[in-house]
Amino acid sequence: MEEIKKFIPTEKITLFRSCLVSAEYPGVEASTKYVFDKLGVEYVIDRNQSCCTGLGHYYDIFDELSTTALAARNFSYAIKNNHKQYVPMCATCYAILKTSAKNLNEKEDVREKINKAFRENGLEEFQYTKGDIDPTNDITHVVDVLYYLKDKIPEHKQRDISGLNIATHHGCHYCKVHYDDTLCGYRNPEVIDKICEVMDSPALKWYDQKPRHCGGGFRQRYANRDLSLDATVDKFLSLHREKIDVLLVMCPNCQVQFDRYQYVLEEKTGDKHYYAVLNIAQLVALYMGADSYKVLGIQTHTVNLEPLLDKLAIEYNPKGDTLHVTEE
Amino acid sequence: MSQKNRIGVFLCHCGGNISDYVNLEEIEEKLSENEEICSIKHHENLCSLEGRNIIKDQILRENLDRVVISACSKITHGATFEKYIKPLNPYLYEMPNVREQCSWVTNDTGKATKKALSLINSAIESVKYNEPLKKIPTTVKDSVLVIGAGISGITTANSLAKQGMKVTLIEKRPAVGGAMIQVGKVFTPDKMSEDCAACLLNPVIDEMVHNENITLLTNTVLERSTRNSGNFDVILRKKPEYVNPEKCTSCGNCTHACPTFAPDEWNEGLNSRKAIYKPFPQAVPSTYTLDDEACIKCGACINVCPTNAIHLDAIDEIISLTVGSVVIATGHQRFDTSKRPEYGHSFYEDVVSQMQLARLMGVNGPTDGHLQVPSTGKVPRRVVMIQCVGSRDQMPDAHKYCSKVCCMVALKNANLIHSHYPDTEVIICYTDIRTPGVYEKYYKYVQDNGIQLIRGRPGEITREDDHMLVRIEDTITHTKQEIPTDLVVLSAALESSEGTIDAAKTLGVPLTEDKFVKEKHPKMQPVSTDIEGIFVCGTAQGPKDITDSIIQANTAATKISELVNGGLEVEPFIATINVKKCVLCGTCIDNCRYQALTMNKHSVRVGPIACTGCGDCIITCPEEAISIQGQSDEKLEASIAGLLKDKPDDEQIIIAFLDDIGNVSANNMGINRVACPSSIRIINVPFINRVKYRHIKYALTHGADGVFLGEYPDTPKHNDIRENVKVMKKHLEEDGINPERLLIHSVFIPYFRGLANQFKEFDEELQVLSK
Amino acid sequence: MTKLNRREMAEKTEKDLAHKVLDDIKAPKDLGLLRCVQCGLCTSVCPASRHSEYDAREIIKRVLDNDETIIEDEVIWNCFYCYTCHSVCPVGNSVCHVNQILREMAIQKDVGKKQIESFMSFADSYLEEGLGVIPQEYQGQLKIDYGKHWENLQENLQEVREDLGLDSMYLLPEAKETVDKTLEAIGFKKRVQEIKDVRNRK
Repeated sequence: MEEIKKFIPTEKITLFRSCLVSAEYPGVEASTKYVFDKLGVEYVIDRNQSCCTGLGHYYDIFDELSTTALAARNFSYAIKNNHKQYVPMCATCYAILKTSAKNLNEKEDVREKINKAFRENGLEEFQYTKGDIDPTNDITHVVDVLYYLKDKIPEHKQRDISGLNIATHHGCHYCKVHYDDTLCGYRNPEVIDKICEVMDSPALKWYDQKPRHCGGGFRQRYANRDLSLDATVDKFLSLHREKIDVLLVMCPNCQVQFDRYQYVLEEKTGDKHYYAVLNIAQLVALYMGADSYKVLGIQTHTVNLEPLLDKLAIEYNPKGDTLHVTEE
Repeated sequence: MSQKNRIGVFLCHCGGNISDYVNLEEIEEKLSENEEICSIKHHENLCSLEGRNIIKDQILRENLDRVVISACSKITHGATFEKYIKPLNPYLYEMPNVREQCSWVTNDTGKATKKALSLINSAIESVKYNEPLKKIPTTVKDSVLVIGAGISGITTANSLAKQGMKVTLIEKRPAVGGAMIQVGKVFTPDKMSEDCAACLLNPVIDEMVHNENITLLTNTVLERSTRNSGNFDVILRKKPEYVNPEKCTSCGNCTHACPTFAPDEWNEGLNSRKAIYKPFPQAVPSTYTLDDEACIKCGACINVCPTNAIHLDAIDEIISLTVGSVVIATGHQRFDTSKRPEYGHSFYEDVVSQMQLARLMGVNGPTDGHLQVPSTGKVPRRVVMIQCVGSRDQMPDAHKYCSKVCCMVALKNANLIHSHYPDTEVIICYTDIRTPGVYEKYYKYVQDNGIQLIRGRPGEITREDDHMLVRIEDTITHTKQEIPTDLVVLSAALESSEGTIDAAKTLGVPLTEDKFVKEKHPKMQPVSTDIEGIFVCGTAQGPKDITDSIIQANTAATKISELVNGGLEVEPFIATINVKKCVLCGTCIDNCRYQALTMNKHSVRVGPIACTGCGDCIITCPEEAISIQGQSDEKLEASIAGLLKDKPDDEQIIIAFLDDIGNVSANNMGINRVACPSSIRIINVPFINRVKYRHIKYALTHGADGVFLGEYPDTPKHNDIRENVKVMKKHLEEDGINPERLLIHSVFIPYFRGLANQFKEFDEELQVLSK
Repeated sequence: MTKLNRREMAEKTEKDLAHKVLDDIKAPKDLGLLRCVQCGLCTSVCPASRHSEYDAREIIKRVLDNDETIIEDEVIWNCFYCYTCHSVCPVGNSVCHVNQILREMAIQKDVGKKQIESFMSFADSYLEEGLGVIPQEYQGQLKIDYGKHWENLQENLQEVREDLGLDSMYLLPEAKETVDKTLEAIGFKKRVQEIKDVRNRK
């Protein structure tokens, strides 16, 4: 195991909820909880927590001050609950929270402006004191925790998932924004790959464009659809060349781009090749024996997972999926 | 001082430079009240021959045992007066600097006179503690250990050996020659051509092999080194000699018989070699060698060896030596390109390093000098070179520095390709081409030959069908490009080698932030290290080309020759240890950054060449057993007492302890006639940490209004000194003294106006404080 | 006749664009903007540069040239905020951050507000629920791209979450209240209104 230069928690965790996980792939949250429970990780989910603003922030709607103020508000709850180890499931939440903590710690004028706004509006309880949250050691991604506990994962093995051709796609906002805090490299990111290795299902060592982004690009997906998809095509074709079975992600935004748009991309490029798009927590849950519908939530995926389960000879009850309907 | 001294005071007018501003009559009158002063004389110019006669005459006539010469700075005329006080011992005088630090910086005669008197009184009190000392003659053993047998190490060894010194040259690898023997071709400026590196190097190697003063040990590393009064006791470890060099006839039967392969380092891993092998055909020594990590000990080689030269159960040899000097010539290695996965060196066989390219083109390389694309075996249609891989990059895993030689290496290899394969296109992608001096001509010559240069730093390389693709923006034409190519060559940064870092650690020599061996002074002493007797040359000290390495190697040899042949005499101001107080705890030894102290059976010994008299050991010694010869605590205290003697209540006095840099800066203040508050009284100390809390407390409780510490910050002790000042301020508070009365500030030689301002501000602050 | 740009020696009365960027709240403390040597590494790793007129290096060039017209230039809206340039820049610069700052400068003017007003339903939802959602304006295209399955998911989300054993995704009522108060206090609501006003002016 390579040297880990940041603190990785296994208790006193606030599992920070993500808007995209909640509304698009809730199975990622269920899988994370499932895996954490198996591994004995102690965490809470707090319905006082607001969304990190990330999408809005990168649509340029939220200004830095507003995002930071909301982070200060969230931090105060976690501290009060004695669960100040933030563990988000989304790469954007991870980076936004770290940036906010840095702003609050390092920029006195920002901290003072926010505290003043709190004081003058009866929100004294949210005031932030320098150093309340350590951006490196108090904010870690779910994959950091899984990596830290990876040697315990095989103890919970229920299913054989070996023999898959897996490509990993690491979220840019996990790898590249605060790259000093990234585990296992960011120019050739390998943190998910290392988790795959312990499950006897190693990922491709390298493929063309491996460290590149998904193409979502926040506003681009919506306001600049063609540009966004053109960018996705680069990686999409590279994945097709590698004939992968699974694209493994760690961020719901990337999952949307490769899963929700898979058929659009096939049409755009005329290049067809089936692959499933899974979050690493979903794959670990699958390995640990979790139910495909009730935990992984594969019914929420645009691309059916059933062909993959067939390949692995994993049984499922197709009635678990009421969302996919055969279109007339 | 129980018995009374017989002190003589001489007051120099300096042709009016002093006497126009300082009332010397008044001073003479005041001094004559002191009964220890047996003689007071003035003169227009004491530094003149007439001055000499006056001084000498008074010493003999009045039987003086100490002398104070009130004149200019010691830097100007210290050496002069040292001679003039003969027959007295040259260390029995003091020179209050009444010119630069008084008459030239004080406009008011009354104030200048008061200040001059206080400076002279300080010297009078201080000189009482001077002891007769002698310069220390030293000898250095004429044997040298040179670590690393590349071009730098061999050059140094040859030079030293020719000057009659005994050299042990050790090399970690099985053959000598380092990087130069591997590169194949080197560039020769005057001919605009690429010459055979081995042909240039071989005579140098031959010379080394045939010089009887040189013992070459390959497969050998430095394991331990201890300083022993000026010498170094070193322990070397030589890998087991599986193949007996006396018996081996280099027939090669063993290699044919060996079933095991390992990557061939000589060819940068482009092909494989056997576990028992000769590194390359022209290797020196020519004996076969065995890679015990790859060897499976099957014994096949033993069976075929006609001279019975192979012993698989051979063991390491430990060699112990005592040498007078050590040269670190451990060279460089190249940046690990797997840290830039986007360039695909680990994933694509058609991406190679410049050194691999050199091997591909070397006549003794894996393809016998034929340039081939590794994946196809064909001559490349196009080669793209990428510069600055791992250099000029501030990412934590890379190097901020420019590695200096890569532009020339790329141009050289590009031109070589062009001259052998005119149909092959060569493109160099660069950020800046750095070819200073005559190299610029070669750069233009290569451009004229049709080598293309694209200004831009490529972002990634991928594989497409049967070729590679380089993505780059041509930043001159502002075009985003994808360049298909058969071969990609990475110009990886030169970086400090593992061997360099290991050697530095073993020898206790500090490294720079870039992990190269740190020179004593990067500009003025480029081959010396902080440890007297240890020298550095070649790329162990930083990226450089062959010519610069050779220059530095010869310089190192010269410096060692100075030590050995110079009949060195060093100043006696070094640490001395009171054996009655010393408990042999060793704390001073651990704390001495110059490795000047060694444990010697029942005492701690001070190496006179290594010791700089910095005084760090004084502070660390728990028994207060250490002092600096001729610079006792008592002497320093007496200087302070002298400055404060007869101080009237309404006069403000600031005692300014300045290190040597600060003292020169204060002299510059005088030379440039920059006014300085008359309250400032300077005491020059060799290093700021020489001033103890007792001195500061003494000053502040005996009449000084403030204490100023002037420290040159660019030393390894800077942080310690600043911390120590914080501690002292706390002590002052505990002792009921306002800590604001102590101030530390950085000093620099050209920054004398700044220093004058600091003095002025502190003077004003203290005036406010005292109200 | 060609007009040459003169670099006048007169004392600068106003801060140039590069320093405005460096002083912005969004600029990381050690942003290497002034260390840029225009090596073009950013452009050659940048997806927006690859697929559009955008050129990462050129953005920095124009900022360093004090070319304020860049704030009004459409091209800044092409950055994906993928931070690839930020993670490889040899001098510690970050085109991604500089772009965010330029867009914010544009938003201070109408030209930037127009670029983002179509995303304002995100702000509305956030003010109401403390949660982010996909902007209303783009739902139509998404329904086409994602298909019927996705519509089914949106309609049955509550049920799907229950099947997965998940709690409600919405914030507690009192939490929503303090989110709202926070956004009022920090001036976000004012910002939202100003952006919407541009829409109404159209």
